[in-house]
Amino acid sequence: MATKNALEVFKSRGLDEKTSEKLIENGYTYTKVARANEKTLREIEKLIGEKKLKQILSVVRSKDRGPKKKKEKPLKAITLTKMELPVKVEKPTKFEDKLTKMLEGMNKKLPWSVMHEIAIRLDGANISDKMLKKILETTHERCQVHAVDPSESVGILAAQSIGEPGTQMTMRTFHYAGVAEMNVTLGLPRLIEIVDARRVPSTPIMEIHLEVSSEDDLEKVRAIASNIELTNLIDIADIETDINTMEVLVKLDKRKMERKNITPEEVLRKLNKAKGLKGLAEMRESMIVIKCDEPSYKKLQKISEDAKSSQIKGIDGINRAVIRKLGGRYVVYTEGSNLEKVLMIDHVDRSKTTTNSILEIYEVLGVEAARNSIINEASKTLEEQGLTVDIRHIMLVADLMTNDGDVKAIGRHGISGRKSSVLARAAFEITSTHLLRAAIIGEVDPLEGVVENIIVGQPVTVGTGAVNLVWAPPKKDGE
Amino acid sequence: MRFTRFERARIIGARALQISMGAPVLMDVGDDSIIDPIEIAIREYDMKVIPMTVKRED
Repeated sequence: MATKNALEVFKSRGLDEKTSEKLIENGYTYTKVARANEKTLREIEKLIGEKKLKQILSVVRSKDRGPKKKKEKPLKAITLTKMELPVKVEKPTKFEDKLTKMLEGMNKKLPWSVMHEIAIRLDGANISDKMLKKILETTHERCQVHAVDPSESVGILAAQSIGEPGTQMTMRTFHYAGVAEMNVTLGLPRLIEIVDARRVPSTPIMEIHLEVSSEDDLEKVRAIASNIELTNLIDIADIETDINTMEVLVKLDKRKMERKNITPEEVLRKLNKAKGLKGLAEMRESMIVIKCDEPSYKKLQKISEDAKSSQIKGIDGINRAVIRKLGGRYVVYTEGSNLEKVLMIDHVDRSKTTTNSILEIYEVLGVEAARNSIINEASKTLEEQGLTVDIRHIMLVADLMTNDGDVKAIGRHGISGRKSSVLARAAFEITSTHLLRAAIIGEVDPLEGVVENIIVGQPVTVGTGAVNLVWAPPKKDGE
Repeated sequence: MRFTRFERARIIGARALQISMGAPVLMDVGDDSIIDPIEIAIREYDMKVIPMTVKRED
């Protein structure tokens, strides 16, 4: 009873019963008194007298300061354990250090990857320092030849270098190549998919490598594959609905279950945990019976549906797992992809396992991994079509897509739509919208990019346009 | 300083413009056999007598 509770509250605050009752009869609860303003306080005073009111108020006010203060525990000193940060780049080897020093002596520079390559190929070989110097010199020379000049318009070069082979792809579009009875999107559709940064590729595929200890043990590989593959109840059993007894009968298929390595007990356990079937299933002879807890056909129907789609085994999103032998080792290919969950499985080689879903790689492994994935996937699709595109063009695209920390599409919704210059955006697509918006909010365009300057009719800031000439008086003799 | 091909083009272009507008030629043209300002500018560039250089940002 509410009034009784309210009474208790007053009494627990040390007020005598009579006054408390009086207060409550007139509709004053503890909180009301506590929050009373001047006017209501006067009313209360009339009711119970000045002395009692003071008593109440002293109680109320003192308690008002908040709930009982917890005794603060003295803070424990946190013990920090020193952890080693993961090193992404290997430390230079002795030989690499030697090469670097030599280059410094020659006052020349080489990209780190080139140095690394030289070091790998020459390490251990018996080469004199003179020879080594010559090698470095030649490498440097060749490297300079291949390097792009400053202010070269690499973007246009990349666009054309990928675009031109792309036109050849259109003729052989929508080809599906069977990789071990699996459909794979290839060719132009796949390239478009990569560049558009689609959330889910049309044919997500994983390539799961296993640790050295289990990669040639077929039994182990099979077990892992069957654990990965998503299995619903309908895949391993016949499901019937008995309207007379209001039950759903699950007739387990022994052969299918054996192949997928599932026991009836396991199925029962999973069913009892499944959504909509909690605690309804029970074993009866060789069948599992799911009883309907309500006398309603609708409910029975729903139970039957839930049972069919209930997940018995496997990882979300992975519909099929195929084992293939690749160079003497077993590799599991899957239709569907779930990198996060697969990487958590035992015996999976985390450094080799991949997926073709770039967004998934981004979410699980980060941008740098996503960048590499874009490069790999794009060059793979181009290569499969027999087209050779310099990897630097693809790298530029990948760099641009992942430049600010997440994967963005090329195009209206991605890079082109996010350019800072209004004119550059307007030049791409939906011109009037951009111009109108810019006019309304008063955008300023500093004309720093290429497109803006072309629109305005000024020299652009690439190539010859980027060169600033200065006067250099002729040097006098002897200078 | 080695020039990139853009810088070379720009320098020669600027110099050719000057010559075409009557600037004194900084090399010996011999018996006036060359009259094309661009040709003269290229020769001047090769002889490194053009009083121009490039300001690079960095």
